[in-house]
Amino acid sequence: MNYDYILVRYGEITLKTKNRKMFLNALQRSIERAMEGYDVAIDVQRDRAYIQIKDEPHEKIMDALENINGILSFSPVVKIETDEESMLNTAVALGKEFKHGETFKVEVKRVDKTYHLNTYDIQLLLGGYILENVEGISVDVRHPDHQLNVEVRPEAIYMYYEARQGMGGLPAGTGGKSLLMLSGGIDSPVAGLEVMKKGVEIEAIHFHSPPYTSPEATNKVKKLVEIMSRRTGTDIKLHIVPFTKLQTTIYEWIPDNFSMTTTRRIMLTIAEELARTVNAQAVINGENLGQVASQTLQSMHAINAVTSFPVLRPLLTLDKNEIVEKARAYGTYETSILPYEDCCTIFKPKAPKTRPSLEKVEKFESKVDFRPLIAEALENVECFSADEAEEKEAFAGLL
Amino acid sequence: MVYMDNAATTKPYKSVMETYLNTGDDYYFNTASIHMKGREAARLLEAARTQVKGLMGLDEYDCIFTSGATESNNLAIQGIVEKKKRSGKTILASEIEHPSIMNTLEAMKEKGFRVKYIRTTPEGMIDLSHLEALIDEDVIFITVMAVNNIIGSVQPVQEIVRLLEDHPKVHLHVDATQAVGKIQMDYRGVGSLSFSSHKFHGVKGVGALLSRDGKATFPIIHGGGHEYGKRSGTVNLPGAVAMARAMRISTEGIKENTARIIRYNEQVQNTLGDFKSIHIHPGGVPHIMNISFIGAQGEVVVNALGRRGVMVSTTSACASKLRKLNETLSAIGSSKEKIEGSIRISFGNMTTQAEVDQLCDALGAVYEEIKEVLE
Repeated sequence: MNYDYILVRYGEITLKTKNRKMFLNALQRSIERAMEGYDVAIDVQRDRAYIQIKDEPHEKIMDALENINGILSFSPVVKIETDEESMLNTAVALGKEFKHGETFKVEVKRVDKTYHLNTYDIQLLLGGYILENVEGISVDVRHPDHQLNVEVRPEAIYMYYEARQGMGGLPAGTGGKSLLMLSGGIDSPVAGLEVMKKGVEIEAIHFHSPPYTSPEATNKVKKLVEIMSRRTGTDIKLHIVPFTKLQTTIYEWIPDNFSMTTTRRIMLTIAEELARTVNAQAVINGENLGQVASQTLQSMHAINAVTSFPVLRPLLTLDKNEIVEKARAYGTYETSILPYEDCCTIFKPKAPKTRPSLEKVEKFESKVDFRPLIAEALENVECFSADEAEEKEAFAGLL
Repeated sequence: MVYMDNAATTKPYKSVMETYLNTGDDYYFNTASIHMKGREAARLLEAARTQVKGLMGLDEYDCIFTSGATESNNLAIQGIVEKKKRSGKTILASEIEHPSIMNTLEAMKEKGFRVKYIRTTPEGMIDLSHLEALIDEDVIFITVMAVNNIIGSVQPVQEIVRLLEDHPKVHLHVDATQAVGKIQMDYRGVGSLSFSSHKFHGVKGVGALLSRDGKATFPIIHGGGHEYGKRSGTVNLPGAVAMARAMRISTEGIKENTARIIRYNEQVQNTLGDFKSIHIHPGGVPHIMNISFIGAQGEVVVNALGRRGVMVSTTSACASKLRKLNETLSAIGSSKEKIEGSIRISFGNMTTQAEVDQLCDALGAVYEEIKEVLE
């Protein structure tokens, strides 16, 4: 079937009234970005958007729309003349795409009230004609497998049946900015993508401790950022913080069972500083209540005490298998499980405190002045972006 | 066709043409535009600039893309002496510079500058002691080419740089057109340096001026302020990117190509060794050979070789129509007969052994044809 348009339905944008324009502009930008390189015309209207397809196969366009935040669902649409014969031919052609044994119903929206056939006439006409010409399918008006939609408008008739689910949520960049603490494990990419669903733009921060952590571990995090960027049609910037000196200082000065808490506290301190610099209003992490020692409520309390920023923990109450399921759906899982050491696993204490008291942590930390080391780490942050990396590669091919 | 005139211009590498086309296709944007695509094009231009400077070993220098070495030489001379005219009025130049230098200097004379020429040794090198003697308080600018385009002699750039350490107000300009991509030279310390892309298998219409302090140059082309305001006009991005690539390929291949071209040079010398009334002028780089058929006119030899499909030139393409005795050959003390009978053979990185064999055969045949007129 040759489709002429993709009809795009909005998610939560439809709930917005006063500032809908801002959301629509953001959605337009996301769609434009996803459609780069395709020969299409994009028309973002108040309630839905139409993407006019020229020569491209519609499946490719559909795949590209699947990951855009703010789109609830979308359908490939055929545009035909307003005569009965075109309607009948198209109905049969679409009906032939249904599988043997499936059911359907015809739904008519008669926008052009002057059209010579009424809603019921059209339903009867098309339903009957499909049943006569396509074998092995039947009508079910209550729970059909497919709903064949017919929109009769003055200029043309639009027909479609397939509706694919989109990401839902709100368009990228409409919900402010957050800094994601990205370790390279399974949880943190999922946490970032969950928050992005709500239209929040993110940048990411990653700590590495060369030579204790390998370049592969950092590359793995870059790869994750690339997957997340591509998936969301954004360019997520990754800030890589050198953590070796802090790590070894913690190892030297803080008792083994408190070192995890201090490490986390310093990481959060650095994250807050960086969040300020990049104008992010919150920090996101993949913490999950009770998953490991550092993730008890007492531990979170002791760690969280270093910051006044909101720390978003979208995975807080999920079970591990639920997180894994999401990671698989987002396409980050396979990369997350690659076996490279990150700085948490190498300096892992043998028996970390599951209930560290804030008072004790602060007492131990008061023996060392971490501030110059934190300032030094912040000065030496490296920035990576998937777009830039891609650009560099493209340039290298020319030079 | 056997092309043996690579000092005049070269054939672009295939991959350089691909770069040129792809850049023109994918990055046709104006590098001065502030939209996303313009900025992307500008970043590509900067990547090309960084690569060019790096390959020349002058990472800290400013690089201004131009239409070629002639413009770069004009910009260097006119732009810099204009800025320096309050400190002095004397310009020193070697006697064997390219017309784009010589004629610019003539124009500067009309503007009240004095030009003095540094003597040339019989080997085609500048006489360093004479240079030293010429430097006085009024000298502001010295221009010396890195490799001569007629005989291929290589000038002692680093020795001049050292000589000028005691004369900080003197700007040293080096025309490196015949050197880039052909010979590894140390240019550190020069004031400015010019070259053309088409001499090292890039495309025509693009070159650059590398400058230790680009700000100290006065623009000669005014307009929209491209290239730091020193060279206005929408930047030839495909040309610049293609030049960076050609420079990389040529520079990376210098060792291997030189070894090959030295063999070609020796083969031609051996072939000519059997002939009488042939004089091979002193050279430098192996890819340029200047040979005199004493008693004949260079033009006759060029045409005779041309009829056998071999393209060589008399002196240099830029000066060969001027109909006067070649300055370089005069400067090294060559006789009138030798100068009149001289041809230039120049090899390139694409020259093959089969072509050199054909050249030697053709030289033999032409010699047989004209030997009666040779002395």
